[in-house]
Amino acid sequence: MIRKIGKFSIQMVILIGIYQIGNLTVRIFHLPIPGNVSGIIILFLLLWLRVIQIDHIEMAAGWLLKHLGFFFIPISVGLMTLGPALINKGLSLLFVLIVSAFIGILSAGKATQAVIMKKEKEKVNYHDHAL
Amino acid sequence: MITLYSILLTVSVYHLARFLAAKYSSPLTSPVFISTIIIIFILVASNVSFDEYIPAKNIMTYLLGPATVALAVPIYKNRLLFAKYFGAAIIGISIGIVTTITSAILIAKCFQFSKPFTLALTVKSVTVPVATEIGKIIHGNISLIAAYVIITGMIGAMFGAKLLNLIKVDHPFARGLSIGTIAHGIGTAEAVKEGEVQGAVAGAAMGISAVITSFIIPYLIPLFF
Repeated sequence: MIRKIGKFSIQMVILIGIYQIGNLTVRIFHLPIPGNVSGIIILFLLLWLRVIQIDHIEMAAGWLLKHLGFFFIPISVGLMTLGPALINKGLSLLFVLIVSAFIGILSAGKATQAVIMKKEKEKVNYHDHAL
Repeated sequence: MITLYSILLTVSVYHLARFLAAKYSSPLTSPVFISTIIIIFILVASNVSFDEYIPAKNIMTYLLGPATVALAVPIYKNRLLFAKYFGAAIIGISIGIVTTITSAILIAKCFQFSKPFTLALTVKSVTVPVATEIGKIIHGNISLIAAYVIITGMIGAMFGAKLLNLIKVDHPFARGLSIGTIAHGIGTAEAVKEGEVQGAVAGAAMGISAVITSFIIPYLIPLFF
């Protein structure tokens, strides 16, 4: 149990460290991306170049991802400060956000699936041809 | 004392919400949505202002950065899938961004929204830390932007999977990509629950769409304002 906690803590420190390095690189090189996205890229490269093995971080990473939603809750609670402004425009604002989100989700999903299907079909045709 | 109370409240409501979501699966039991409503309600009822909640918020969101970085793990595990569908991903993300921003601005114009209310719509699908950065560049209202982003994330998390079922988008790559592009981290948290591929793709799509959005917004804004 204690060994497990120790392992978990070390993994967590590694992830926090990479996140901070991500922030630092963005600031130093004035990159047009946020620190967390830079952190994703750095960790990906470290895994890819085998500097870090998946087992070195998987326990903490899995736990964080399982509870990813939790970290957005305290930020969302901030909506309480916008009460009056939102209630004033409430319904029309909600309408805009819902309809545009639906349109975005439907078109992104349909477009991606269409391109994937087209690619897979071409492959099948190619095989047919080969036969 | 208030900070401890706020943390205990948030953590216990979150666990209750997860329990509810597992028992009654519906858009309304989406954990971020239902927890936020319950917590705001309890804070207001117990006379705690958001300013008093902020220290607790800062402690609890400390791990959001590392948690986002952890998305590299499922992305790495699915790297061959990304290499295979790279073209589809870029096309899908770009179409998603352009259609959602354009439709939002056009509807807002019909309702005759004021400029700050319309302008903030351009970044509503971008993950919170990037949206606020872009917001500064385009001189938008930051707290309004944060509200749009969060509400959009909740909408995507609550209805995304159902919408995609409706139009028979069943490919896990397309599903994750769509949710991550439009509903950023909050949607990704929901996609992770649907499956590892969906979660990995959503996380990657969130990052890529943030980058693409920050590049296209300067060209998109003059078209509408």
